[in-house]
Amino acid sequence: MRKRSLRWIFWILGLGIAVAGIGLWSLSVGPAQISFKEIIAFMLKGGSSTEYSILFDIRLPRIILGFAIGGALSLAGVILQGMFRNPLVEPYTLGISGGAAIGVCVNIVLRLNNSLGVLSLPISGFIGALLVVLIIYSLCVRKGILKIQGLLLTGVMISFVSSSLIMLIMSVSRREDLHGIVFWIMGSLEEPNWMLIKVALGISLLGLIVSYIFCFNLNAFSLGEEEAFHLGINVEKTKRSLFIITSLLVGFSVSVVGIIGFVGLVVPHFMRMFAGNDHRILLASSFLCGAGFLIFCDTIARIVIAPMELPVGVITGIIGGCLFIYALTRKQNVLGGK
Amino acid sequence: MRKEIALVVTLFFASLVYAGEDIPKRIISLGPSLTESLYFLEEEERLVGVTSYCLRPPEAQEKEKVGSVIKVSLEKILSLEPDLIVTTSLTDPKVIEKLTSLGIKTVTFPEPKNFDELCEQFIKLAELVGKKDKAKKIIHDTEERISFITEKVKALEKPKIFIQVGAKPLFAASKDSFMNDFIRFAGGINIAGEALEGLYSREEVLRKNPDIIIIVTMGIAGKNEKKIWERYTVLNAVKNNRVYIVDSYKVCSPTPLAFVETLDEIAEILHPETKGE
Repeated sequence: MRKRSLRWIFWILGLGIAVAGIGLWSLSVGPAQISFKEIIAFMLKGGSSTEYSILFDIRLPRIILGFAIGGALSLAGVILQGMFRNPLVEPYTLGISGGAAIGVCVNIVLRLNNSLGVLSLPISGFIGALLVVLIIYSLCVRKGILKIQGLLLTGVMISFVSSSLIMLIMSVSRREDLHGIVFWIMGSLEEPNWMLIKVALGISLLGLIVSYIFCFNLNAFSLGEEEAFHLGINVEKTKRSLFIITSLLVGFSVSVVGIIGFVGLVVPHFMRMFAGNDHRILLASSFLCGAGFLIFCDTIARIVIAPMELPVGVITGIIGGCLFIYALTRKQNVLGGK
Repeated sequence: MRKEIALVVTLFFASLVYAGEDIPKRIISLGPSLTESLYFLEEEERLVGVTSYCLRPPEAQEKEKVGSVIKVSLEKILSLEPDLIVTTSLTDPKVIEKLTSLGIKTVTFPEPKNFDELCEQFIKLAELVGKKDKAKKIIHDTEERISFITEKVKALEKPKIFIQVGAKPLFAASKDSFMNDFIRFAGGINIAGEALEGLYSREEVLRKNPDIIIIVTMGIAGKNEKKIWERYTVLNAVKNNRVYIVDSYKVCSPTPLAFVETLDEIAEILHPETKGE
């Protein structure tokens, strides 16, 4: 027991330090070369020079948003995988991203963002996501019971339907609108609005705290729904709450940064492999690991072909996918060796 | 009294300095056509940053790069300390908003849909850098060259034309596009003129039977597309061997001067009999 607590503390501390380290590294690299000494001077004294603006108006917001979104997506991934007891589930499986994408596309094509301001893009994305969540939920609730398998299938189908609808919108839209849609679909941590970044951070941290209420329930779920019920857990209430928490987390993340794949799928698997299957440690460690991973990938995307930038999804896919395949084969070897 | 004079003099000089500040000293261009236009306006001294797509004129390639057209590095832009950034609608709106919020004057030029819009934008750009008169002169010269061409082809028979700007799916240039102006000025009829811009059916092309097909190159695809058209021997364009390929760079990142040059080329394609006149 004592040993396990120690191990958990070690994981949280280690990941926390890693995230802080990645954050500092991300702050210190970029096409405009600013030495570490200067950064510390700026942090202590403040200033109004170009370098100061680069550090605190360009690099820092991206790091914070990366922390919030990476954490939120990984957390949503862990919860959904635990709830469905299915390793292939990820935040986007439920079709929420598709709903958000349709919301954004409609906004761009109808030129609502011209009249209502740029902030209307994430808002319409969020409305789209919420609509999809409502549709899936109402389709899958039968006599007060949320059908888990139905939920998954409906979600996947809704993803397909929405991607076809997006193609429909794109094929009839004007050329200049197409770019807007493509930008959004590529996903980016660039966000000019500080308020939105703060809200994103707040929501993802709140999601983490609230999810801890359900960590024992999630552990029980890994035995199966029936077993969880016999252990005295209100299965229906838990499922519904978790579904709503993750939907809000994903819907909000997607509407702010667009579609950034892989974080919510790979990170939870990694943490299951290394930190264990107990949701008490899994939730927090996945959150931290996802946050660090996304900041890391965004920094790579920023610097690898500087001054050009790559969409962050390119890096999350390549690094995440390769690392995951490597870890998976190594783990199998170890198991086989035993 | 003396004090008052001093005040007036100070104000006068202050206003001079202020007027001087209005004209930007460090410009960054995020669009190839904008870069080219700035060179036409002889603003290369003040142009401090361009994109990796800004290939014309060749000197522009030696300027500091701040990214590609669609993905730019904000950091690089900021480190060049610009006081004016000109962008196109290809630039990520989030990036434009961020630049504006950082207090840098950022002006976006949407894709021009016809020659008039192109000229308007050229003058707007020139106004920003304080070269309006020069721009007006350039446009005046251009208009003269255009009217020379239109006069030349006025009396000639108007051939039916299909302009293809994309393959797989087939994409036609319609009345909302720039290409339509080329056909109009060069004395032709665009068979897709009435369609909404976008995907076009090959069947419809066969039915309307154009006299000329112009393919705007998409890399190597241009030659392939030509081969595909040549299979349809019922087409007048194919029978008379009048399927042409035109460089997309000129057509797709237009400046008033590039417009006239391309127009010249297209007029010759439409009316080969006028060549050399």
